[in-house]
Amino acid sequence: MNRLPWWMGGILMSGLLLLTFSIYGADRPIGASTYVPYFAGIIFDLDPEKYSYLKHIANPGAWEGVMLFGALFGGFVTSVFITKSFRISLIPTGWQKYKNNSVVSRLLWSFFSGFIMIIGARLAGGCTSGHFMSGMSQMAISSMIFGTVVLIVVIVTGRLFYNVKEK
Amino acid sequence: MQVVVITEGEDILSRIAQMFENVIHQGHGSLALVFLIGIIFGGIIQYTRVDKFEKIAGFAMLKDTIVPKMLFLAVGLTSIGLYFMIEAGGAHYHIKPIIWQGLVIGGILFGISMAILGKCPGTGPVSIAEGRIDVLIGAIGGLLGGLVFTLYYDDFFKPLMGESAGKLILTEFFPGHEHLVVLIFGIVVSIIAVVIPKKELFDEADLAQLPEDERPDRKQA
Repeated sequence: MNRLPWWMGGILMSGLLLLTFSIYGADRPIGASTYVPYFAGIIFDLDPEKYSYLKHIANPGAWEGVMLFGALFGGFVTSVFITKSFRISLIPTGWQKYKNNSVVSRLLWSFFSGFIMIIGARLAGGCTSGHFMSGMSQMAISSMIFGTVVLIVVIVTGRLFYNVKEK
Repeated sequence: MQVVVITEGEDILSRIAQMFENVIHQGHGSLALVFLIGIIFGGIIQYTRVDKFEKIAGFAMLKDTIVPKMLFLAVGLTSIGLYFMIEAGGAHYHIKPIIWQGLVIGGILFGISMAILGKCPGTGPVSIAEGRIDVLIGAIGGLLGGLVFTLYYDDFFKPLMGESAGKLILTEFFPGHEHLVVLIFGIVVSIIAVVIPKKELFDEADLAQLPEDERPDRKQA
């Protein structure tokens, strides 16, 4: 078995969310975008005392930073030993099929989308993990607003950006 | 066990050490547990293959529905379990505020980038861990995005987000019927997960690395 079916993934993810929320676990939601400005602060050597945002995210940023190290480790081990999908690659097969064959184009778009992704997530106060999974699980209205906007925009962008019709 | 505490220093290594130290003291699970949560998180994402470009960008093209199916099921199941855990005192709410401008502008930027990059901030690192250099470049873009956000937070981004309209959850609209609302929400969301038609976009380059009898595209045929 080299991949789990979607329903097993959903059940396991639900178990992980409940463990994380539980007071016997971490007593907080799962989040995965606050670590980015947190690491940006470390890498670009910003003084946390000088920037209000770094002060604001000091605790969640550190928590997610440690979780990120775990996710990198877990993802790497699983890709090498279980899914056997580890390989160095510059351009996804789907990009070649539905966009173009240019590595430069893929890398430039990656850079650009990574840039606005983090700004978007931080403006909204969460991402797929923090808003969609953790927020909607708490039935938070804010997360439902975010989730609806994202779902619509993802589908519209997909239609406009890729050559959907090809094959 | 000897605990080495490094509170001094502003170089990268000291600040990484301070990060670990912070997690030890902030009371949201032990360091080992937080790391373990990350391992399981990365493991689930990798094992279900939702970190692949073909999953999220494939969903944007409506050629793959694994990500929404898995997300909706996780939300449906968790919402019911979590509500009763909170009722029993085993967990707390951590609701994000309704900041209309931030949610809508942020959602638009996030949606565009998710469709183009084919990742989100949770699946991206898992993708990097399996050797995807294009996503690493995306992460560098993300770090610069985080830098710009931090630098101009007070002057630009905070006013852009607008005022918070408070924290609301669905059950508050139906006082007296909370349990019913939770059950209906959880069940409806789970049913949505099941009824979304299952579509899969496969990546030949990945499948080619597997033995013939383990290929998921062959099994379905």
